[in-house]
Amino acid sequence: MVRKSLADVFVDGARKGWNIGVGNIVPNVLMAYAIIQVLRVTGLLDILGKVFAPVMAVFGLPGEAIMVLVSAWLSMGGGVGVAASLLAAGKLTGTHVTILLPAIILMGAQIQYMGRCLGTAGVQTRFYPVLFGISIINALIAMLIMRFFA
Amino acid sequence: MEGKETQEIQVTWVGYAALIFAIVFFSGIFASSKDWTQVFDFSVLNGSFGKIEGAKSFFTFRGAGGTGARDGFMFSLELFPAVIFALGVISVVDGLGGLRAAQKLMTPILKPLLGIPGACGLALIANLQSTDAAAGMTKELVQSGQITDDERTVFATYQISASATITNYFSSGAALFSYILVPIIVPLAVMLVFKVLGANAIRLYLQWARKKTVASGLQAGK
Repeated sequence: MVRKSLADVFVDGARKGWNIGVGNIVPNVLMAYAIIQVLRVTGLLDILGKVFAPVMAVFGLPGEAIMVLVSAWLSMGGGVGVAASLLAAGKLTGTHVTILLPAIILMGAQIQYMGRCLGTAGVQTRFYPVLFGISIINALIAMLIMRFFA
Repeated sequence: MEGKETQEIQVTWVGYAALIFAIVFFSGIFASSKDWTQVFDFSVLNGSFGKIEGAKSFFTFRGAGGTGARDGFMFSLELFPAVIFALGVISVVDGLGGLRAAQKLMTPILKPLLGIPGACGLALIANLQSTDAAAGMTKELVQSGQITDDERTVFATYQISASATITNYFSSGAALFSYILVPIIVPLAVMLVFKVLGANAIRLYLQWARKKTVASGLQAGK
């Protein structure tokens, strides 16, 4: 076996990064931006913002932030994309994003992970709802904690 | 040296050094230092895009005021360097044994921390990088009888919340690094704490459920 040099190891990892960029980030972020554009053009974004304002206020966030959490649950890249898009639109600030970031990842991509994590590991299906619930609770409490740092 | 199959994980000082380097590098401790020590910071080495001079102000290649899919595309291109760079560095740290060092440090505290045996150490660390690798290892641990079904459920709860933590944080999450107001290690630490807390929530739930079954069994016996 030939020992790889550190440069080779770095390049291997970097190549993985490129592939994640092309395979995950671009499609996910682009989708998120397109969805936000639909919500903005139709005026739904403002309505969602108003409806969820009281709930999200608990976490120190504007109502629109609910979109970040919902899309994160389906896809982490999507959640990050929505957050970035709302930042660009001036609906979120750096403080809001600081609060949201750990939550996006803690409750992120659960639908995907149902197969990739729970299915592969062979967890009993009757526990799935409890496990999803815990991920979401993790995210919510993490937002409360992040308020102190942000 | 070779061919000896031992349970003991061999970690050299290089591994520990690599782990310490990774923690410092991604922690942002040196981000605001003014002298040469800022070379130890991820954001500093990641650098910045050049600015395009406009009529009134400077823009990066993304421009300003874009919307929709096109703006999303330009934005995602901005994320590439951070992701490529971060995964390259993590790959080197792993190659030097940094993650094995983390695993060795973690193994003795797994039982008190999560109630799962030390054999889960590798899968626990693997889950920080890859959902699939860790899930596969967990299946193996159950099949070889090293962990019980309940322990699998607890372990899976640790895994599914913020799965592939490091990879996802430094790829998807990297998009927001330039906007957050805390050092990038803070959200990472918060996530790791909640992974453990969440697993303990289901650990308690399973204990409670088991007691209830035993109790109702006793009553039925009366």
